[in-house]
Amino acid sequence: MNGVGSVRELEKETDKESPLHSMDGRVKLILLIFIIVYAVFSTQIAVMIFLEIYLLLLIYISTVSFKTTVTRVLLLLPFGGFIIAFQPFIHPGNVIWSGAFGIQVTDGGLMWAALLMSRLIVSLTSIVLLSSISPMQEVVESFRKLGMPREFAMILSLMIRFLFMFYDELHRISHAQKARCFDAFNKKLSYKWRMKQLGYTVAMMFLRAYEQGETVYLSMASRGFSEKSKLYHDRKKKIGSQEYAFIASTLGVVACLQILAMSFFYQWGLMGINIA
Amino acid sequence: MHIPDGFIPLWQCAIYYVILIVALYFSLQWARKNLDEKAVPLMAVLAAGIFAIMSMNMPIPFGTSGHMVGGALVAIVFCAPEAAVIIFTLVLLIQALFFGDGGITALGANVLNMGIVGGFVGLYTFKGLRKPIGKYPAIFIAAWLAIFLAAELAAVEMWIAGTFPLEAGLASMGIYHFFIGIIEGILTVVVIYALEKLRPDLLAWNKNKKLGEQKAEESEVTAK
Repeated sequence: MNGVGSVRELEKETDKESPLHSMDGRVKLILLIFIIVYAVFSTQIAVMIFLEIYLLLLIYISTVSFKTTVTRVLLLLPFGGFIIAFQPFIHPGNVIWSGAFGIQVTDGGLMWAALLMSRLIVSLTSIVLLSSISPMQEVVESFRKLGMPREFAMILSLMIRFLFMFYDELHRISHAQKARCFDAFNKKLSYKWRMKQLGYTVAMMFLRAYEQGETVYLSMASRGFSEKSKLYHDRKKKIGSQEYAFIASTLGVVACLQILAMSFFYQWGLMGINIA
Repeated sequence: MHIPDGFIPLWQCAIYYVILIVALYFSLQWARKNLDEKAVPLMAVLAAGIFAIMSMNMPIPFGTSGHMVGGALVAIVFCAPEAAVIIFTLVLLIQALFFGDGGITALGANVLNMGIVGGFVGLYTFKGLRKPIGKYPAIFIAAWLAIFLAAELAAVEMWIAGTFPLEAGLASMGIYHFFIGIIEGILTVVVIYALEKLRPDLLAWNKNKKLGEQKAEESEVTAK
């Protein structure tokens, strides 16, 4: 899963300059979530292929590395891929292959697996793009502008600040443990003792980060910080022509795909059938 | 346990979102009453901590590994399941938006499993068992049950969505999280034990005991 390395790398990606990087955070957030929602709504693989092409085009415009994007999507696929791998064997449909121990592969299962996989790839590409063009604090500010309650926005903003501090503490503690040759997966050590050490690691990490966080928060509060404070300066971004172009192109792509899905894609055979 | 995008139909996602919105409404009322200068950093650090803890792999018997979830930990520390709802909503939101870990359309379902069920089961199991069997055994069982039931609920949701058969889902998630739950239980006990020893003022049940400030000054962590 995610670690300090990936958190820092993500923040570096968001420092790049491109038309998508400089856009209003709310527009990016809403449109990329909209693409995910449309992908989940759609039941045709052809629609997913065109959505993915559109996302790849956006990645090209954003100057985000294709290699990094593909690597991140591939690294995230196994989480859902495990469930998808079972679908050909468990989903109802016409049996197209029978093996030992009553194992059967159905056509319906294969199509369902393909649909789930294509949905997952589109969703992950969308997420990778969003996280590569929007710093975390910009997303928090976007949520705040979109009406997130102040209390939640404040905790979210502080959480992101503390996240980096937390990973520093984790890194420091694990470094100290490695220097003493501690390995939680070393089976020569007693399991109970390893669990105790891991428990203390979690407790120490939590306590140290809390005490640092408390100091930071109290110094912020003593300087007038509250849930009403404006935490992030968004370089006075306004919704302008770039944002309107992005909104129009995304809504246009989705509208065209929906029209094609209802009137044309069914001629494409397996790619265009509605998979239920 | 994080359900990705595309695995649950949109109409079912909408139902889970309605449940999430209702839970968030009550959690917001709780936050407005209870968030003071001590609770705000504690909540933010716990949220960051839950985020980090989920990235720490723990060894599990039979050679596999898993990670803590922490729903019971949050609810027990604050003595409020609402705290778990808030923290898990924020953590899962960031995980979904930045790391693709759990889906944005499945956010309602994921918060229901880990935050709402995890928090309520964790806290009320702890409260129910605290007197009969003692504080730390109760914490262990509460944490184990919270993660186990959350995982089983995820299997039920996948079955309702038509993505995975019920028996196979309950069995595979159950067996796997039976062992992860043991680790979760042990670590939850150790964390709360450490808090009780080093910073008892942070635990909600010590709020009115007036020992917090004195213990906070004595904290070994601060001294280090």
